[in-house]
Amino acid sequence: MSNSNKDTNNNNPQSDQNRGNSRRAFFKNFGLIGAATAAGGAAIYSGFKYEESKPNHDFVKVLTSDNRLVEVPRDSIKDIKVDVNRLQLQGREGLKGHRFVMVIDLSKCRNARKCISACQGAHHLRPYEYHINTLVMQESPNTAPYYMPKPCQHCDNPPCVAVCPVDATFKRQDGIVLIDNERCIGCRFCIAACPYSARMFHWEEPLMSVADKGKPYNIELNVPQKKGTISKCLFSSDRLREGKLPYCVSACPNGVYYFGDENQDAVTNGTTKVTHRLSELIRENGGYHLMPELGTKPRVYYLPPKNRLFEFKDVKDKTLEDQKT
Amino acid sequence: MKKRYLSLLLIVLISFRLSAQEWVVPAENGAKLSPFAFSDSTRKAGAVLFQTNCKSCHGDPGKNNAIALVPPPPDPASAKMQGNSDGALFFKLVSGKGPMPSFKNTISSTDLWRVISYIRSFNEKYVQQIAPKSGIAGAAENVKVLLTWSKETNQVQAVISAMKEKRIQPIAGAEVKLFAKRYFGNLLIDEARNTDAQGKAIFNFPKDLPGDSAGFVQLSARLTDDAAFGEAKADTTLAVGVPTYRPPLNEQRAMWNVVQKTPIWLLLAYIFTVLAVWSFIFYVLLQIRAIYKAGINKNQDTIDS
Amino acid sequence: MSSEVNTDFLHDKRLDAIAADLLRPVGISKGFLIWMGFLTISLMGCIYAYYIQWDKGLIVTGLRDYVSWGMYIANFIFFVATSLVGMLISSVLGLIGFKWVKPIARIAEIIAVAFAAVAGLVIVSDMGRPERLPYVFMYGRIQSPILWDVTVVTTYMVLSALLYFIPLIPDLAISKGRMGHQPKWLQATYEFLSVNWNHSSYQYKILLKAVRILLILIIPTAFAIHTVTSWLLAVTLRPGWDSSIFGPYFLTGAFVAGSAAVVIMMYFVRTNYKLDKYLTVYHFDMMGKLLVLVSIVYLYFNINEFLVPAYKLKTADAIHLHELFVGEHAMLFWSVQLLGLILPIILLLFKFFRKPFPMLVISIVVLVAAWFKRYIIVVPTQENPFLPKQFVPHAWMVYQPTVIETAITMGTILLAVIIITILFKLFPVIPIWEMAEEECSGEKDKHQE
Repeated sequence: MSNSNKDTNNNNPQSDQNRGNSRRAFFKNFGLIGAATAAGGAAIYSGFKYEESKPNHDFVKVLTSDNRLVEVPRDSIKDIKVDVNRLQLQGREGLKGHRFVMVIDLSKCRNARKCISACQGAHHLRPYEYHINTLVMQESPNTAPYYMPKPCQHCDNPPCVAVCPVDATFKRQDGIVLIDNERCIGCRFCIAACPYSARMFHWEEPLMSVADKGKPYNIELNVPQKKGTISKCLFSSDRLREGKLPYCVSACPNGVYYFGDENQDAVTNGTTKVTHRLSELIRENGGYHLMPELGTKPRVYYLPPKNRLFEFKDVKDKTLEDQKT
Repeated sequence: MKKRYLSLLLIVLISFRLSAQEWVVPAENGAKLSPFAFSDSTRKAGAVLFQTNCKSCHGDPGKNNAIALVPPPPDPASAKMQGNSDGALFFKLVSGKGPMPSFKNTISSTDLWRVISYIRSFNEKYVQQIAPKSGIAGAAENVKVLLTWSKETNQVQAVISAMKEKRIQPIAGAEVKLFAKRYFGNLLIDEARNTDAQGKAIFNFPKDLPGDSAGFVQLSARLTDDAAFGEAKADTTLAVGVPTYRPPLNEQRAMWNVVQKTPIWLLLAYIFTVLAVWSFIFYVLLQIRAIYKAGINKNQDTIDS
Repeated sequence: MSSEVNTDFLHDKRLDAIAADLLRPVGISKGFLIWMGFLTISLMGCIYAYYIQWDKGLIVTGLRDYVSWGMYIANFIFFVATSLVGMLISSVLGLIGFKWVKPIARIAEIIAVAFAAVAGLVIVSDMGRPERLPYVFMYGRIQSPILWDVTVVTTYMVLSALLYFIPLIPDLAISKGRMGHQPKWLQATYEFLSVNWNHSSYQYKILLKAVRILLILIIPTAFAIHTVTSWLLAVTLRPGWDSSIFGPYFLTGAFVAGSAAVVIMMYFVRTNYKLDKYLTVYHFDMMGKLLVLVSIVYLYFNINEFLVPAYKLKTADAIHLHELFVGEHAMLFWSVQLLGLILPIILLLFKFFRKPFPMLVISIVVLVAAWFKRYIIVVPTQENPFLPKQFVPHAWMVYQPTVIETAITMGTILLAVIIITILFKLFPVIPIWEMAEEECSGEKDKHQE
């Protein structure tokens, strides 16, 4: 976005409180809303305010949501507020015509934990607060141990959503299970109901609660995080809206993750960016679901840890130091 | 002390070995040059591509914040990276090795050269050499790709033509790849084909690839060697896919859906039960009122009598 | 409850004696004030603990992502369970026609009202965002068992309150003229609450009808309230909770806890208010038999709940049962099962242990065990999720209740005791008119001492 665009904040009633911190998030949201309003003119706006009073037919450059730079008459420009309601609406509605799926290739996971740090960075979480965690798994004493990244399974029969008393967590048309921390009452019934231990709770003030204060709440990013509410893996639905792969998927250095759309029968590897047929990938590699006997119908597939190119190294100490103590 | 020197020596040796072992670029590939001159616009485009495709491992150029992998991804601004010739960088981007993925099928070679132009912007001493125009491209202009679909054979045909000697002529022997656009990337259809004498390349289209609700799929055909042809590609939407309509996943009434989508039986059972019980409660409350009223009358009766 | 009231007792001298006996404890006494002062000050401390939790978040508790329900939810289930006894005593036994429940019924109702009312607060203490409680009513999802629970707990509380209040009306009218020494505001309250009661047979007829409706209505409601509470756990997929008999298992357990609570209150009323003429050894004996009965039923469900999965030892169940039987929670588990269930069944079969004092001791043990039983149901299940607990601080893997958490839980118990104390002291605990009617109509059971 151009420099001149940034100055639009002057036109914005909320800018007084949000200035600085929220600027980036603000514009990210803006692009979605439509014409990213009053564009560059604002710099001039402050300098030549008197011109406002008389009718003029100046043209200003405006960046549209589809990334076209267009010129519109200055007097046709209207301010748009950072509309949290709008974020809520689009966040609850989801992306039409899609059914997002993730495929996790266990034969490639070396527990690099880059997915975890990328996720925690994006969602403002502490090192021990997980939307996605990588576990050291061993089914039974004589089977081979392996690493298993475990995000939310975004089940099609989600037990966590069923029990929510206030519609704070919900399943969208594209299959993603989201959490609205403006609604959540913190009863933690969903934590009790989730068999995958995929949900977390903000027991204390979230990591960046001071820095995030006053930012418009983006339900698809779940930032700002809030004390006393649930948080969980969102399949990075803010990124999906922009056509980008989730944070964890693109952060993986080992090609573990594939992400895509079941409706298009295609998944794209986050490391190599190569797109594959979902059905082929699952068929050829023996893809499976985690605990299918529970009937949760997950949207995450796993490919078994066979023919691994590296040696499995166990992690001796599976506890993290509590950063606070 | 001696031990320390030894271990230091060992480390130097190992790292030397590692770098010595590293990635040999064939001379032919190493000598390759960009078909176009690097400019601000190519660097800008390259920067965007770098952000989305490279930064997660290589970090920000000049900041040495690459992630720890073995071998470590070099910083693009480092001497190690800049020591590569343009052709060597291009070769490495295309072929990939170990944790470094191949971008052969995901980024066009024009875009790869743009990334290289961005990387070179961190090297002040760099002076670019441009490939001399040659081959078909030298003579051909306005390369065009035409895509058609034959329903009977379920094949997609790409016809490549260009202005040559002031008339439109088919281009033979060019390698073409066909992609179907998907939400996060391009899906390679069939395999790379060379055009025949008529400039035709024929791709077998899978019978089961989902299209939109009418079966339309966005196709993209690309000439592999776009150094020679420029950015020749065609984006066409054809009804080659299986018409696919899948309803929204949250359409049906279910226990897990929002309150507006409560199962009817549950809604009725809940409302009926609550109404039934509470109507009795209100009836009882009315009885208390009746007791109260009866008391007033009775009191009056006693006064009267 | 009989279908008609013989109002002869109103003109009988024996009414005066009974009313004098039963009204003696009513009123503001020095002991009451000291006791209330003690309770209030203690409660203030607990409220301060809650303030800390409000301020800092639930981090001050021992709860973390794996064990995210702990003492509070166990306490909630305990409160709901104990309140159920109101239904059992006045409704089931009363409708069957047992006369001996008449002096106990009101005690049971008081326990029901107090525990049901506080149960609502207990659940708020567990919420991360208590200020969003209204959302449950604004955005309630009918599919969520929490909404069902809110609905039935509210309904049960209203029903219990009515069932406490309506039979109290004639007593208020009787008391009106007999409490000259009481403070003005209390007399005014009696006047107001007695809703023009003048003992006409018409009024008695309405009263009996209203009470009968309530007695019938409260049975399904009470079943619903604790069944739904059990579903908060049983609708999940977790080993230890994923059980189809959780409804009756909880329900029968509730009767054990509630009966014990009633016995404790009976003993208190009998000795402190010197009402041993009304709450006789016979009543304790009958309550003892009731406690044995409900305990045996509860034992039956316990056997079902543990034996069946222990026979099959499915992977997740096996880990859970191992923790309970011989693992980390074995000590607590066996103490609860033996002291709170097996031992009372054996002891109460002997007449000696059904005397008031032994009954008191046994009931206290049973009630405490009942609380820990809920703890044992709630906590260990969450400590053994399906997937391993890894890469979190050690404190996140196990549950260790904190002082603040304990204080808040104590606070809710204190609050229940305060409500019970107030209701005990301000209104007659034993129904005067029912006692008088029974005495005067010559129906008084012969075995009373």
